Amino acid sequence: MGKDFLCDGPVILDGAMGTQLQARGLLPGDTPETWNLSRLGDILAVHAAYIDAGARIVYANTFGANPAKYHADPPLEDVVAAGVALAREAAASSPHGAAVALDVGPTGRLLKPAGDFEFDAAYDAFAAQIAVGVKAGADLIAIETMGDLYELKAAVLAAKENSSLPVLATVALGEDGKLLTGANIECVAALLSGLRVDALGLNCGFGPEKMLPFVRRLAGMTSLPIAVKPNAGLPKVVDGRTVFSVDPEEFADGVAALVDAGASIAGGCCGTTPAHIAAVAARLKNAACRASRAERSSCRAASTVTSGSRALEIPFDDTIIIGERINPTGKKRLREALVNDDTAYVLREAVAQTEAGAHVLDVNTGVPGIDEAAILDATVRSVQSVCDLPLQIDTSNPAALERALRHYNGIALVNSVNGKRESMDAVFPLVAKYGGVVVALTLDEDGIPPTAEGRLAVARRILARGAEFGLSPASFVVDVLCMAVSADASSANVILDSLRRVRDELGCRTCLGVSNISFGLPARALLNASFYTMALANGLSAGIVNPLAPDMMQAYRAYRALTGRDLSCNDWIAFAPSAEIKTGAVARPAPAAAAEPSQDALACAIRRGLKADAAAAAREALATGSEPLHVIDRSIVPALETVGAGFEAGRVFLPQLLMSAEAAGAAFDAVRTAMPASGGGATKGTVVLATVKDDIHDIGKNICRALLENYGFRVVDLGRDVPPEKVLAAARRENARLVGLSALMTTTVCNMEATVKLLHEQLPGCKVAVGGAVLTADYAAKIGADFYSRNAMELVRLAERFFRPPAQDAANS
Amino acid sequence: MTVGLREIARYMRMGPTLPEGELAARVSTLRDRALAVARPVCTWRRFPVEDGAITSGGVRLEITGTLADHMAGCGAAFLACGTIGAAFDSFHRRVSVTSSLDGLIVQAVGAAMIEKVMDAMEDDIRRELAPGESLVSRYSPGYGSFPLEAQRPLLALVDAPLKAGVSLTDSLLMVPSKSVSAVIGVRKD
Repeated sequence: MGKDFLCDGPVILDGAMGTQLQARGLLPGDTPETWNLSRLGDILAVHAAYIDAGARIVYANTFGANPAKYHADPPLEDVVAAGVALAREAAASSPHGAAVALDVGPTGRLLKPAGDFEFDAAYDAFAAQIAVGVKAGADLIAIETMGDLYELKAAVLAAKENSSLPVLATVALGEDGKLLTGANIECVAALLSGLRVDALGLNCGFGPEKMLPFVRRLAGMTSLPIAVKPNAGLPKVVDGRTVFSVDPEEFADGVAALVDAGASIAGGCCGTTPAHIAAVAARLKNAACRASRAERSSCRAASTVTSGSRALEIPFDDTIIIGERINPTGKKRLREALVNDDTAYVLREAVAQTEAGAHVLDVNTGVPGIDEAAILDATVRSVQSVCDLPLQIDTSNPAALERALRHYNGIALVNSVNGKRESMDAVFPLVAKYGGVVVALTLDEDGIPPTAEGRLAVARRILARGAEFGLSPASFVVDVLCMAVSADASSANVILDSLRRVRDELGCRTCLGVSNISFGLPARALLNASFYTMALANGLSAGIVNPLAPDMMQAYRAYRALTGRDLSCNDWIAFAPSAEIKTGAVARPAPAAAAEPSQDALACAIRRGLKADAAAAAREALATGSEPLHVIDRSIVPALETVGAGFEAGRVFLPQLLMSAEAAGAAFDAVRTAMPASGGGATKGTVVLATVKDDIHDIGKNICRALLENYGFRVVDLGRDVPPEKVLAAARRENARLVGLSALMTTTVCNMEATVKLLHEQLPGCKVAVGGAVLTADYAAKIGADFYSRNAMELVRLAERFFRPPAQDAANS
Repeated sequence: MTVGLREIARYMRMGPTLPEGELAARVSTLRDRALAVARPVCTWRRFPVEDGAITSGGVRLEITGTLADHMAGCGAAFLACGTIGAAFDSFHRRVSVTSSLDGLIVQAVGAAMIEKVMDAMEDDIRRELAPGESLVSRYSPGYGSFPLEAQRPLLALVDAPLKAGVSLTDSLLMVPSKSVSAVIGVRKD
């Protein structure tokens, strides 16, 4: 059977299997797939009834038969093969015939970072089920009821890589139009179009009426055939039985409206019966599906990037910001963080750019001498765990690109392809496989053309080659390459000319790494912002800029307000107060405690947990002549001590302690900027912190980090769910004498014990402190830990004793 | 759904005190942001209790330990599971990156929210009771001597992964993290 049968709508699918089996005695807790071998007659009868009703595709009873979920007897291979065979037998016994879909449902596990199931493990589970289904003779693969975009991606990849069958993928939306893990319908459309399924749509969730707006939105995103399998309304419990509210005729009316809105493949999910499907088949008999590709030429999905929960169409008539901070070029601190596995630093950069208003974040981990494929993959995943912006995966290493694209949750912006044959041959197949909007650099074997005409010619060649891989111009963002104006006086003019012409003549979106323009010149911020405005006025769709640079954000917001893109200037009005403060137009309000001498004002602000006031008071103290070390020793440390002692005595609660810690941190930052470079680096000692393997609750560990840093310790925070080997590697690298481990659950304390054991075996000089909700001093001793801390403050005290010079220690004991 | 400052303060371990001034403002901002990402979903199902267990299909949930005392005389029980969703966890991770205080506040907001969700679910369940029936208070695996291992049959019997998006890790943690599962006994007058 060819792939076209999904395109010749209307195509009638079957209705609910589960509802039918429950009517025949299936109970909650039963594994329905075992009926493929124990209740063959029932399964055959259900299929036959749907085929008689008019279904031309039936779903085999294999929904839950994947190795992550199915643990019953008989073996999985047997129930999947039998399920496909039964559907085939029912189709063969009917004069109408029907195609058989291998039904693939979710694994029942939540993927990392939301849960503990690896993407690759989910892929393997789907692949195992699909391999058996293909061998058993399925005609297509129907992935359904998916509630997580990431798991959906694993399932589709498994289908595409383990078969050549058509793939129909549908998701279950909640009442709010989102998947369980938060993705909206635009994310789904972009992902499935990018992965090149043969048809996509919705099943389960709710009845046909509620599906209507979402089918309209899907039809506006993609020209792929749209499938719908609504429930027979909402379930209600009446006299202890679950009943559904929509009868066959009403259901058929609803489905007809969905077909009107763009669907061309229709069946039913929970609560539907052969009568529902018969009514749908009768109603759609003469329906013309306006879903043909010719009529629905929408390609918005092609220019949409997504995270796991958020979709963003790269605009053609507006502009967005790509945050450039996660790129080690010229950034020593980030380079160190990448080399030393200092995830916390990278994540802070990600969150800061998100809060500053970036729309996409660039992720580049190109540091010489590291395993770029591994580090890029890990960095993309950890950034995705805290940030819901789509990412730009930025690498010139095809192996690194493939690994990161494969594990990326969503559709990424791919940076980049260029006009060199080698580049196009490496990048285009990956984009064709994993989806993506591609940044096309206008350079080729001959370098960067000096003229706009030359750069357009390269862009045209890239687009033409991309078309051979099925990529439309909508899938490209052309980077016309920003060269320093100090090296070539015509540089800026050529760039602006190129931007305009790419938009007008090629109909393509554009991007630009704006700050390169000022390279080699003084007062770069001013030049950058001016040039950014000029680029925007010439049609720049996406500026790769530093969203933490106030000048750039001002230029961006001013441009949008002045060109009518910021309706009623709402964004500008919301943004203006912070802009005025940053440019100094409005005097800073005096700190609340300004009446006091500034050092006391500082201590007071810290005790009261006032972050802005503490920073201002510290600056004030320095401005009036206090020595930086003096400010630390006389104000910051004593204030922290007071609060810490209050906490230990039960007078101050944890939130207030943390507020004071943050205020002290802000004051430290102010002092540090005033200190000579060498003066700020002294620490009391290095502590490696981790939440142990399989444990994802790290709030206590984070509090320990904050307080330790505040008390002058250097902390290497390895994050949560950290395997013992990784703790060992970090402790060894850092030469750490103290490691802190946390665990929340009794079930993960065994991993804590394993980590302690490994550290003691391999690093005899290294001591381990443990803490967490389920631990006690006795328990800690039992698993071999050297120290136990009841809370973060205790860990600070412990570290202070531990790192204190021995002489002093002896004197105190 | 909304949650009050007092409930949040309780989960922030602030003793009898309430957040004031800057802290109160911060709690209120983070609460609003958390509410915007929370996605409460619940699922429940009624089962008879026979011979000290709930048995359905191939799955058996033993009513053992302190739960057995708690449910003495109950001939039926609801198994229930509720969550505020995975997007909340993502938000919690994000705020924790820059501030452990924000992390603490948001986790307290989440704890208060899931309690509200469970209370609302109990109200819905109460509407399904026959005249003369009442509910005993809800009881979760891991409390008292009702073992954590009961999570597996409990979640399987309410189809929690599919119906609520709640699943178990290998170490028997529920994910998303702000999820609650419970046995709620039904008593006849």
